[in-house]
Amino acid sequence: MRPLKEVLRDWEAVIGLEVHTELTTLQTKMFCDCHLSHDDPPNTNVCPVCLGMPGALPVPNEKAIESIVMAGLATGCQIQRRSLFYRKHYFYPDMSKNFQTTQGPVAFCMHGHLDLEVAGEGAAERPDCTMEKAADGSYVVPIRILRIHMEEDAAKMVHVGGTEGRITSASESLIDYNRCGTPLIELVTEPDLRTPEEARLFMERLRQTFLALGISDCSLESGSMRCDGNVSIRRRGSRDFGTKTEMKNLNSFKALHDALAYEICRQAELLEAGDVVRQETRHWEPSKRRTVVMRVKETADDYRMYPDPDLAPFDLSDEFIERCRTRIPELPLDKRDRFVATYGLRRTDAAQLAADPMTAAFFEEAARTVATEVVPTVANVIINLLPATKKVMPAQVASLAELLASDALTFAQAREVLELVDGTTDDPQRVIDERGMRQSTDADALAATVEEVLAACADQVRQYREGNRKVVGFLVGQCMRASKGSGNPKLFSRILRERLTREG
Amino acid sequence: MPYIDELSAAEIAAGVARGDFSATEVVRASLDAIASREPDVQAFLQISADLALQTAAVTDARRAKGEPLGLLAGVPVAFKDNMQLVGTRTTCASRMLEHFESPFTATCVQRLLDAGATPIGKTNMDEFAFGSSTESSAFHRTGNPWDTQRVPGGSSGGSAAAVAAGEVPIALGSDTGGSIRQPASFCGVVGMKPTYGVVSRYGVVAFGSSLDQVGPFGRCVCDVALAMDALVVGGRDPLDSMSQSVPASFREQLEEPVEGMRVGVIESLMEHEALSAEVRAALEDARAALETQGVQFVQVALPHMEAAIAAYYVIGPAEAFSNLARFDGVRFGYQEPDCATLAEQTARSRARGFGAEAKRRQLLGAYLLASGVYDQYYYPAQQVRTLITADYRAAFARCDALLLPAAPTAAFRFGEMSTPTQMYAADLFTISNNIAGNAGVSVPVGLGKTSCMPIAAQLQGPAFKDHALLRVARALERGVEDAGRTCSGTVAPGFARMGGVLA
Amino acid sequence: MALTREDVRGIAEYARIALSEQELDEMTSYLNEAVELLEPIRAYDLSGIDPTFHPIGDLTNVMASDEPDAHGRSLDLEVALGNAVSTRGRAFRVPSILGDTAEKGAGAEGGDR
Repeated sequence: MRPLKEVLRDWEAVIGLEVHTELTTLQTKMFCDCHLSHDDPPNTNVCPVCLGMPGALPVPNEKAIESIVMAGLATGCQIQRRSLFYRKHYFYPDMSKNFQTTQGPVAFCMHGHLDLEVAGEGAAERPDCTMEKAADGSYVVPIRILRIHMEEDAAKMVHVGGTEGRITSASESLIDYNRCGTPLIELVTEPDLRTPEEARLFMERLRQTFLALGISDCSLESGSMRCDGNVSIRRRGSRDFGTKTEMKNLNSFKALHDALAYEICRQAELLEAGDVVRQETRHWEPSKRRTVVMRVKETADDYRMYPDPDLAPFDLSDEFIERCRTRIPELPLDKRDRFVATYGLRRTDAAQLAADPMTAAFFEEAARTVATEVVPTVANVIINLLPATKKVMPAQVASLAELLASDALTFAQAREVLELVDGTTDDPQRVIDERGMRQSTDADALAATVEEVLAACADQVRQYREGNRKVVGFLVGQCMRASKGSGNPKLFSRILRERLTREG
Repeated sequence: MPYIDELSAAEIAAGVARGDFSATEVVRASLDAIASREPDVQAFLQISADLALQTAAVTDARRAKGEPLGLLAGVPVAFKDNMQLVGTRTTCASRMLEHFESPFTATCVQRLLDAGATPIGKTNMDEFAFGSSTESSAFHRTGNPWDTQRVPGGSSGGSAAAVAAGEVPIALGSDTGGSIRQPASFCGVVGMKPTYGVVSRYGVVAFGSSLDQVGPFGRCVCDVALAMDALVVGGRDPLDSMSQSVPASFREQLEEPVEGMRVGVIESLMEHEALSAEVRAALEDARAALETQGVQFVQVALPHMEAAIAAYYVIGPAEAFSNLARFDGVRFGYQEPDCATLAEQTARSRARGFGAEAKRRQLLGAYLLASGVYDQYYYPAQQVRTLITADYRAAFARCDALLLPAAPTAAFRFGEMSTPTQMYAADLFTISNNIAGNAGVSVPVGLGKTSCMPIAAQLQGPAFKDHALLRVARALERGVEDAGRTCSGTVAPGFARMGGVLA
Repeated sequence: MALTREDVRGIAEYARIALSEQELDEMTSYLNEAVELLEPIRAYDLSGIDPTFHPIGDLTNVMASDEPDAHGRSLDLEVALGNAVSTRGRAFRVPSILGDTAEKGAGAEGGDR
């Protein structure tokens, strides 16, 4: 197969996503009051409703309806006041009633969009982009959302007796209804995505948005957020749609990107060889980095959808919708812009901090207590040092950032201090004092270290004199090592240059 | 000492409260009465003697401690076997659920238990309530206590027969297209289908979710009012989305005069070709009984009533297909042994578990919901529902209630209705009321001149005016009594005082 | 348009009700007779008339609070599994799903939702 970049020069991919998100932050299921938990032993959280017992009736969870309305508002959707739940029938025991309660042609949320900012390598995948590109090649593209509807999740099935728990060779299957009836929102995009990178970015944006709303833990790995991708390709310039295939098992951002990339190349190879693409569902195999066919769709399924008579129609009031609107916190993009404007952060740093509500809150808590010019250092610590720690407090980061900003500590020392205070309430200042870790700015002491290093690195000294100025970086590194990280690297650099220039 | 079948539910509750007899004595008398009648009537699928005795003992203990007793303290009640009650099986008269132990208790059942009622057992019915004769029960037929060679009607035939035979004073049934009102008519008892939403459906095995409604049978309107108060006094049921609250004042308003009230009749219906002469004559008598009490009669029309049967046989089967899809033999119900695949197990369990009519309705429903067909039948049926509802609204702008037959004939003999579609057409007078959702009640008005079987008049009222409707029903009952033609309040003659002495 | 025997076979397969050849004949004539009974539905001019999916009451927005086991309905394992013919440990058991893959292969892997 030809590489993606090459394929995308001749072919345009048309991609749409279907994203299912479990509302994991709720207490109860969608249509009954069973406790929402997937971690309990099988069939612990079950009742007549979610087991589909004869005579049981559904009542919708108000908080779930609020959550989907919030999701719709946050993605620019029109909130439909009037909508109905429908019954979607198919015989399969993971849905205890043998129908799924879902929404019909009108969903709670219709016709929204998310604007994607595509930059770097990914931007190059879209050579004929009609969007205005910035000087660095980045562009902004609106991705339309067709709808977000409310439904219920299915039970978990374990296939026994086969290989790898796959169904094809299993002799029997075991059903656990704990997950059955979990509130689930399904978002369907218009086929506006054109590259695997756009698809990945869309999913990332969506995840950040839902995390900010606090409606789900959005875990792709555990399956609380699941994505299916539809993709077809067409010759550049063509306006017709090709035959699409549907991709499943995309349980990471990488899988989403790679499966789409593989599929685009596979389809291109078929079409270039004069073959046709079959309409089918394909399964991404991450270990073999390929998609394999799961199921061929010859005719459309007939789910016998009709309005559920057991559930009253919805006619949401302005008051209800406004109440949902007021519950929407600051969303990641707004937060990013505010971080840039208020704290003077770099846009990429601001975006990284704003992406996750916990991190953003941590940052703001730490930033609150420090001087404005120290805030970017706080951001720097959080982005570069925090991921390796377990339980550090904002005050500790703030204190550390102040030390860094005043050149009292090197970054390497800061890393060490963080490890020491991790999980304690100790003030970094005190730890540093106790251990005498302050960064040395004593020029004489540093000059002595420089002399030692220069003596040991005759080769590099010669290279410098031959005009290789970059070798200074290496020498600074050696000085830092020699001083066990306690020397100020800027000072080392200055002394080194002076010394080498003087000699030369 | 009296025989148990001589007492109304109200009299039993009062007697227990006063200490004339204990709830346990009442149960023993009831069980005795049932034992002597069941060989002929076969109204029950299950007698819950132990549960009844335990419940009665609780009632007696409460009384001994001086605690307040409920509206139905010590009153034996029977439940149609599509109502869940922990401690009993809920079979829906189907092989599919032959061994199904109720995992929870239906709200309507619980409400009667909360009122102190004693659960005597579960009554026979058409399988999953598909039918109007109780002949489609997978287990046995039920005899009409007035003539055991005739059907008791259906689908709540067991409940109607149990009350008519004097086995219990009150029983609950469910009515999807006439399944309370028609058997009440055939068995000479009072049967009420309240407005959709007045009684919770939670725990009642669904047939047509937008049509089903639970209601009581009694030998007199007063007992039906008593049961209604017990059913609604707890307010709306949070477990049924469609449940609504109505005041528990059915008995309070019952004896108020009806003078000046207006009752509508639909001329075209009274001249319907399917209507037997004796039913037509009985309806004339009913009219006269109300007129003597100052009720005014007006002519009204329900122009789309002819389409009601068609709409019903679209909506009913479609909802039934959907509701019965859950019976796949996995979580409960009959499971065919030794199947290699799930698909085979499901198809064969359903083939063996369901009877013929249940299969017919489900396949009809599955067809009607198919894409393309949905737009031809299902959607139009729901539009017709709008028209029928509007017809009722227009009619009730001119009157307080409608008087019409409950069934075109008196009870027929077993096997007399030979084809399913012939049976469907007989639902003409009851169905429209389920389509629109408003209330209806069937009141005995005497015996047919040719069949010598009970005949009822049906009264229908506007939605949520169930109290006023029952008041008209009581007036009709009073008028019939005054005219000396009563079969209301009495046990079918062949079974009266057959065992069951309260001792 | 009359339903053919093959149409009915397809409906029965969809509805998961195994029918013998004789039952198939009976069901075909029943369905055609029943559908004929439904014709009056198509006799009216229904243009512009809204459907009534839910009968009277004008209920809207009926919802419940997000409170765990507010109604004490959670079932003990013995009760939850009590009516099932086939169970294994804490789970309900079904035989091989292989035969279903033609129709439900995708969902069979739990990915359809």
